[in-house]
Amino acid sequence: MTKHDQDFGFAPDHDEPIPYRQRIRDYYRTLGYGAPYRWAHYAEVPFAPVTKPLAQSRIALVTTAAPYQPGNGDQGPGAAYNAAAKFYTVYSGDSAADHDLRISHVGYDRVHTTAEDGNSWFPLPALRRAAAAARIGEVALRFHGAPTNRSHRTTLDVDCPELLRRIREDRADAVILAAV
Amino acid sequence: MCHQTVSLAARHLEANGIPTIVMGCARDIVEHVGVPRFLFSDFPIGNPAGRPHDRASQDLTLELALRVLETAPAPRTTVQSPLHWSDNPDWKLDFSNIARLSPEEIARRRAEFDRQKEIAKRIRDKPAAAE
Repeated sequence: MTKHDQDFGFAPDHDEPIPYRQRIRDYYRTLGYGAPYRWAHYAEVPFAPVTKPLAQSRIALVTTAAPYQPGNGDQGPGAAYNAAAKFYTVYSGDSAADHDLRISHVGYDRVHTTAEDGNSWFPLPALRRAAAAARIGEVALRFHGAPTNRSHRTTLDVDCPELLRRIREDRADAVILAAV
Repeated sequence: MCHQTVSLAARHLEANGIPTIVMGCARDIVEHVGVPRFLFSDFPIGNPAGRPHDRASQDLTLELALRVLETAPAPRTTVQSPLHWSDNPDWKLDFSNIARLSPEEIARRRAEFDRQKEIAKRIRDKPAAAE
């Protein structure tokens, strides 16, 4: 750190959000894979206004975590990437129950976090506490699991409509989506 | 792909009249897709809902998400959680950083990547997998 930085209390330059797309592009190019992945990108963003107080709203939760599947290899905590634990269709679970959801099937930061506490990626217990405190009206009856597919077509044409269908069925007023 | 998936899902729900909030740790991916509301935690990927084993941090993170949900004035509203992962920001230099890997490590990772891709393909091709 230079004296100039010290004088003004500047943070190091790299103390900013990680440029993941650039890192991933460089990573796979160096590993020898050709065309870089085309990330979904839109100029226009839809916006549905919140029309009633959250204290009177039913809130649904969507996660990309996977139910623990005994027999499908090490799923952590601390497991290496495990493609056998992936899932390819939307699933749903009872919001009133506790669930053992894991993240060994995705590319989380395995160096700096160990996936020991599901509450750090699946805020269902926290959401139930918010309902108990009347911060929200109620938790929707089910939470939903979204498959993390490389294929835009599968996500957009199959998984998104299925999530919408289930969330409408549950008559949720708003949705929290937690990305692992 | 997780951040892309939830961002696309949020967009689809909003386009159909249901308000959403995305919680995540990969700011550039979520904003590149473009979502209505985003609570960004500048934490290692895998911790969108707060610090592990820290209920106060998890409750604060959810509360921030709810506040962004109810108060965002327009689409592409991003709020960054004030929480810090560590006093030392050097952890941000490690994730998929090719400049930090030896040629041997790069070769090892390539072999492992091919192996995992083969496993994923086998599962995907199996009917009704992981229902």
